[in-house]
Amino acid sequence: MTNPSLMVVVQRYGDIAGGGAEPHARAVAQRLRPYFDVEVATTTARDYWTWANEFTAGQTVVDGIPVHRFAVERGRSRDFRLRERRAFSATHTLADERAFVEAQGPVAPDLLEHVHRRGRQVDHVLFFTYIYYPTVLGLPLAPERAVLVPTAHDEPAIRLAIYKPVFCAPRAIAFSTVEERAMVHRLFQNERVPNEIVGVGVDVPADRSAERFRQRYAIEGPYFLYVGRIVESKQCGQLFDAFARWQDSRGRRATLVLMGHREMPVPERADIRLLGRTSDEDKFDALAGCVALVQPSLLESLSIIALEAWGCGRPVICDARSPVVWGMTHRAGAGLAYRSAAEFAEIGEMLIARPQLASRLGAAGQSFVERTYTWSRVVETYLDLFAEVRARNA
Amino acid sequence: MSDILIVVQRFGDEVVGGSEGHARVVAARLARSHNVAIATTTAADYWTWAPFYPSGTSDLDGLRVHRFPVAEGRDPEFKAFESKVLSGEHTLADEDEWLRRQGPHCPELLDFLHWQGNDYDAVLFYTYIYEPTARGVPIVPERAALISTAHDEAPLRLAPYRALFQLPRAFGFLTPEERELVHRTFRNEHIPHETLGLGLDPPGAYDVAAFRSAHELVGPLVVYLGQVSEGKGCDELLAAWAASRDRPSARPATLVLAGTLRIEVPDRRDVIALGRIPDAEKYAALAAADALVLPSRFESLGIVLLEAWQVGTPVLVRADNPVTAGQVARSGGGLTYRDADGFGDALDRVIAARDAHGAAGRAWVERESSWDAFDARLAQLVALTAA
Repeated sequence: MTNPSLMVVVQRYGDIAGGGAEPHARAVAQRLRPYFDVEVATTTARDYWTWANEFTAGQTVVDGIPVHRFAVERGRSRDFRLRERRAFSATHTLADERAFVEAQGPVAPDLLEHVHRRGRQVDHVLFFTYIYYPTVLGLPLAPERAVLVPTAHDEPAIRLAIYKPVFCAPRAIAFSTVEERAMVHRLFQNERVPNEIVGVGVDVPADRSAERFRQRYAIEGPYFLYVGRIVESKQCGQLFDAFARWQDSRGRRATLVLMGHREMPVPERADIRLLGRTSDEDKFDALAGCVALVQPSLLESLSIIALEAWGCGRPVICDARSPVVWGMTHRAGAGLAYRSAAEFAEIGEMLIARPQLASRLGAAGQSFVERTYTWSRVVETYLDLFAEVRARNA
Repeated sequence: MSDILIVVQRFGDEVVGGSEGHARVVAARLARSHNVAIATTTAADYWTWAPFYPSGTSDLDGLRVHRFPVAEGRDPEFKAFESKVLSGEHTLADEDEWLRRQGPHCPELLDFLHWQGNDYDAVLFYTYIYEPTARGVPIVPERAALISTAHDEAPLRLAPYRALFQLPRAFGFLTPEERELVHRTFRNEHIPHETLGLGLDPPGAYDVAAFRSAHELVGPLVVYLGQVSEGKGCDELLAAWAASRDRPSARPATLVLAGTLRIEVPDRRDVIALGRIPDAEKYAALAAADALVLPSRFESLGIVLLEAWQVGTPVLVRADNPVTAGQVARSGGGLTYRDADGFGDALDRVIAARDAHGAAGRAWVERESSWDAFDARLAQLVALTAA
């Protein structure tokens, strides 16, 4: 008996930088390979901003999975910010919305043609990320076999009318968190579409050593860890301010360790250590020894680094205004949230002073991850969703 | 009391058409208990979509009608382009282009839905095939009912309709056959639906004798009522009629064609073409008939069958038209025929059992097409749809 077929559609695929939907898609495709004839349809882009054609168009193989890459006809347009402003204005037209989606890129009509023709020959089509052209225009071409992984957070774009079919037409939706589902149901009233909380599995290596990390980077004393792109849009500026104010007000000595690509200025001070991009080994070693992971971002659909911190048994400190990160942290009982710089300092003081409390919160996170975000559960849930799709279309 | 918007490609006294007529009836019935407004175009003609009505908001029978300008009517080269899209090499973009070239392309109507669609509790869209519906439902799917009036035709499989049939909050079908077609094609059985049919006013007074004498009609009559065209299967009807007359067992009868002539009618004594008859004569013509014949292959709802049954006249329809054959099977108000060879015998049999078929048809239409029954189905559709 042959396996059912599955086409994965995502804007970029393969060896690309950064986190988010693309590595999510790749990890899921690999995990589903034993159960489906998996193929991927994507673009030739490597960069999520320019969408410049960097990969070769045509067929290739990644991790043993056939990948069809289609050329980007137009990347992000130079007037993108203008198009964005127009589409987000209160009195915008439908034409403004369409112009925004095209200006955002990657415009890849050949990819759509492929989804249109190939999409009706496979059993299921899994679309990653609601926001980009391949999903917005591709999902309506195969809605009866489409499963959407929206990776959505509350942002102006999701309120555009052009996204309604993306959320109302698919056969099923695989959300990352209950918070994401609640937001989508509130915005689209699409409770009718079958759905599950799926997300991703978290792999934490058994061999992780705080000592190795401290020695390699010469870090002493209690430290808090931030992992991810260092950008204003993830609230890194506020984090630096809050941390500096705490330390400057004669708080307990601590270090803020930053891992990730720097895209904004970082204050030059001894207690803020910028390590840049690091290996996975360094990341898990650092997680093992941190007082807590700090996740200041408000716009996350699923904070994988928070899941990984919990997987290592460490707590998470987040912004109370972040619906997803604080929602998950609160449900898991696996961390604390701040509303101000003063509260951030209080939390920092408390977790350093009471290591058992920090460990207890971290342990709660670990059991939350084991309950919800393991690969065996993720794969099982996808199998159920896809079986439902096939049953409907049989 | 809800605020209901009906979106339909044409609307007005000068508009003739099945789905537009249905929309008009539904608007009038719903307006008895809801605030009903119409969003439509300035067109009256379904082919050119040429501007006919002024754009803007007006009042028709107490309904607010918002008319939006047709930016582009039907492309003069539409037929050639369509044959490429339906049966030739073409791209995905061509399928979207086909929708636009079909017309009426009316972007202001769509922006109206975008800006003001949320003011309505339910938005009822008529006719899946035209752009106002195909592009309009995706703007307000959370409050949309799609009254698709679909039949089995090649465009139903084009790209612009794939998501359309997954989006509405509810479907209104005209017949069970349409419902089955849509479910089979799109596998969207999970979307709530109501099969609406149609409500009809009672026929009122009619005078059969006056009708016969006005048109000098004598003896048994077989009546066809509607546009006399190839599209309606009238060429095949005329051929079947001629073949059936040549049978030795044939009993004398006259085929009366009442409707606008679009094809040449053979010159024979037993075929009389009246051209279009006044509405006032409709029920007299139906009551004068020994049988009504409806030869069309495609029909979303055979309204003329319902009208024939109202006056107790049985009907004869094609067996391979699922909609009309289904209507006949459900009501018992007539018979079907497979081909020209079977036409004569079937006609004899339906006339021989005229009273029984006519009574069954009348009972069925009184039950199913009463205003009470129709209003109840309509109320159910609104309840399924309202956001």
